[in-house]
Amino acid sequence: MKSHSLLSSLNPSTEPDTLASHERAEIDASTRFPVLLFFGSAIFWLVVGSVLGLISAWKMTHPSLLDGAAWLTFGRLRPAHLNAVIYGWASAAGIGVGIWLMARLCRVVLLHSKLLITAAVFWNLGVLVGILGILAGDSRSIEWLEFPGYATPILFVAYAFISIWTIIMFRYRRPGHVYVSQWYLFAAFLWFPWLYATANILLIWQPIQGSAQGAVNWWFAHNVLGLWFTPIGLASAYYMIPKVIGRPIHSYYLSILGFWSLALFYSWNGMHHLIGGPFPAWMVSASVVASIMMFIPVITVAINHHMTMRGHFEALKWSPTLRFTVFGAMTYTLVSLQGSSMAIPSWNTFIHFTDHTIGHAHLGLYGFFTMIMFGAMYYIIPRLVGWEWPSATMIRWHFWLAATGILLMVGSLTIGGILQGLAFYDPIATFRTSLEYATPFRIVRGISGFVLLAAHVIFAILFTQMILKIGQKREGPALFAKAETKEAVTV
Amino acid sequence: MNKLPLIFLGVFLTFASSWIGLVAYPYLSLGKMQPLPDEETGGYLPPAQSGLAVAGQKAYAANGCVYCHSQQVRLAPLSTDIAKGLGPRQTVARDYIREQPAFLGTMRTGPDLSNIGVRQPDANWHHKHLYEPKTVTDWSVMPSFRYLYKMQKIQGQPSDDAVKGLSGPHAPAPGYEVVPTEEAKALVAYLISLKRNFPLPESPEPPAK
Amino acid sequence: MSNQTPPPDEGFKENELSSDMNVAQVHGSIMREQAEPRDGYEPVPLWLITVFFCIVFWSGLYLAFNSGGFRADVFDPKLVAWAGGGAAVETGPPDPMVVGKRLFTQNCVVCHQTTGLGVAGQFPPLAGSEWVVGGDWHGDNHLVKILLQGLQGPIQVKGNTYNNAMPPWKQLKDEQIAAILTYIRAEWGNAAPPITPEFVKQIRDETAQRSDPWTQQELQAIPAAKVPAADAAPAAPAGTAPPAGGAPSPAAPAAAPAA
Repeated sequence: MKSHSLLSSLNPSTEPDTLASHERAEIDASTRFPVLLFFGSAIFWLVVGSVLGLISAWKMTHPSLLDGAAWLTFGRLRPAHLNAVIYGWASAAGIGVGIWLMARLCRVVLLHSKLLITAAVFWNLGVLVGILGILAGDSRSIEWLEFPGYATPILFVAYAFISIWTIIMFRYRRPGHVYVSQWYLFAAFLWFPWLYATANILLIWQPIQGSAQGAVNWWFAHNVLGLWFTPIGLASAYYMIPKVIGRPIHSYYLSILGFWSLALFYSWNGMHHLIGGPFPAWMVSASVVASIMMFIPVITVAINHHMTMRGHFEALKWSPTLRFTVFGAMTYTLVSLQGSSMAIPSWNTFIHFTDHTIGHAHLGLYGFFTMIMFGAMYYIIPRLVGWEWPSATMIRWHFWLAATGILLMVGSLTIGGILQGLAFYDPIATFRTSLEYATPFRIVRGISGFVLLAAHVIFAILFTQMILKIGQKREGPALFAKAETKEAVTV
Repeated sequence: MNKLPLIFLGVFLTFASSWIGLVAYPYLSLGKMQPLPDEETGGYLPPAQSGLAVAGQKAYAANGCVYCHSQQVRLAPLSTDIAKGLGPRQTVARDYIREQPAFLGTMRTGPDLSNIGVRQPDANWHHKHLYEPKTVTDWSVMPSFRYLYKMQKIQGQPSDDAVKGLSGPHAPAPGYEVVPTEEAKALVAYLISLKRNFPLPESPEPPAK
Repeated sequence: MSNQTPPPDEGFKENELSSDMNVAQVHGSIMREQAEPRDGYEPVPLWLITVFFCIVFWSGLYLAFNSGGFRADVFDPKLVAWAGGGAAVETGPPDPMVVGKRLFTQNCVVCHQTTGLGVAGQFPPLAGSEWVVGGDWHGDNHLVKILLQGLQGPIQVKGNTYNNAMPPWKQLKDEQIAAILTYIRAEWGNAAPPITPEFVKQIRDETAQRSDPWTQQELQAIPAAKVPAADAAPAAPAGTAPPAGGAPSPAAPAAAPAA
């Protein structure tokens, strides 16, 4: 029935890949402990990271805030925030979501859950030791790789276990069509340890000298965004959107185009963080070109998602999963197009070294990735704990606080950054002018930090209620609004 | 099962392409760069750093200076860095071979520091500034690094090291002085060593207009 | 594409579930799910392929024009070094103001300070100094001679007396001395024309025999000379009587065998 030639991967099978309910229940049960462990850790680090970020943000406009102690200085709090949200929250959430998606899509019960549980423990240990190390003064000051050398091997062991698990799961999957989310997850879980190992070796253990470090640093950091977070986020969106509305993804061929063009172009983008910097011209130009080429995978995925959703947008009214996921997916398109434009040197002139870049980073990691993770968690957690979300009102608060917070943050930093950049460029304007332009927008950003922290605390409370099965017991899912028809209630 | 080798291969090769271009190639072409002999001084370009300045790099890393300060001078017309006095020429790979890590930076919450040693060669200015930046620049948003300093009672004569001209809320009371710790001295030595104003073959001084 | 209908209600087998979850709850949240996601097969839109190839074309052009010939020593993306040609960096001689400032900072600020104001009573100022910009008896040749051989003994600068010793700087090259002098003559409010390397060479050749530092008296005895204007005919070949150049003989009494 299935041929095994190369062409068969382009000529998809028509075998329906349904799971019977009891099979789903079995699979979900097997993923329960590892996934909830990762989710719980992730939410913990989300709250910690949000607090660290909030204090850092206010220190930028009020430098005398908490300025007496070494471990609270901005230069340590800021990387502690970054690492807590990237490795503590985002990566752990991504791994949790990835595990559940992989198990469902491979249609086998989770194998070797001990491997994953060990990985989760190592992960949390590595992040904790790393963050304490940064606050103690052992930060490497290499962006996205600040954890001191005694923390990184712990994380690497965790990553390695997860990679091994991924290969095993994929190897022993039930035969049949390989769905696009599986490609993205498989790729992400393999790419990341290679990235992490290379960066650690060439920047920390056997460092190369000079500005070449900048090249490796930003090859690494940008690839964490593009080859780790983006694939996991897209894998989740590719699953949740068709799953909730009950339609197939618009085009398998667009999925292929989107995946392989992402794989080929994204990893060449790194040098766009260093335009004008001390690098051979061709390296920077190659990254500029690759950044523009990113238009292809981004628009491809946008078409795929949009055409799938077309005619079903009213589901956004009632489905939390879909609302968070589609917010994230649309933000993916927006932030990627923004990123491509930021790589054009004549525009880069006005935004390099400014808050605009920080706005862009948060739009991507929060507006895209974090929102998609929230959406996935709203879907997955009820199935793992056997309890429905106790309060639709709290979910609604979570969504609106998160959406408002990120829009406030990104909006203020984007505009403030451009004004700052204009002052940098103006030969007559002084440095003081750039600071004066930036400051009011930084204050708005600081306010948005409170809004986001509130959203995260609400989510943490909801998660705790789910784990402990407290709160109001309900029949049927927690929805934002009454669904239109009985058939539509598929969340 | 037939899909696994195909996807694995594709995932590996696409990744390998950028690994070769942005990691392996810079390692080979830039990673073993040597300083050049300097005819004028008989030394090397970039000049060797004192041991204290090398220790200062660690202090720079430990306290996260790179998150507000860049160290890159870009060319016109991409930027007006040179016209605004950040340096006489573009900084290039060779300028960073004595740094571990290379503190290129990606933010200018504070000014670029590529040539701060040219603009501010006086150690006492740096100590005053690190201790309480607002007393040197009243609109500064730089945090105070006074935890790198010790307030102590003057024993007989003031120490040679004592920071002169301090003012502001944490200035020493009469009979007291503020003395830099070894970390502060190292950090300032590093800052004063930051000079990229010598020409290099790959980045000469700009021609007369 | 048509909507997927939810899968039919299946009787579950309790012993197949491996957890102790509430069966009704599990049943509920899982039962109401749609089928697992699957692919549709719409074709890739033609306009997307077209856009793709347009971007590829643009990328090729961009790389060709902004890659500095893919050389590791070209850091300026605007330098187009085509395969087989082009030096690493092709620019004119460096700006004397930039070079001069660097050399001044390296060699001269110790005494004359970054502000050019010197130190009262010890080191004379350069800002507004008649020695630097030319005034009274001072000529460009005197300034060059000071750099080459040094200066000693009491001197009058801006109405003040200084009595110190300036070391010779003849180990610097002609371009370097010219750059330093050009810099100090245009900085701190000074506005005097640049000194050229050729002029420095000329003076160096004339004074080749002299090793002692000058005194103000000696210099005053030498008629002032200015750097020839750029469009003037080249000066008489070096070596012959320089135009109004200092005749070495008045310095002869002080000339002594190299100390």
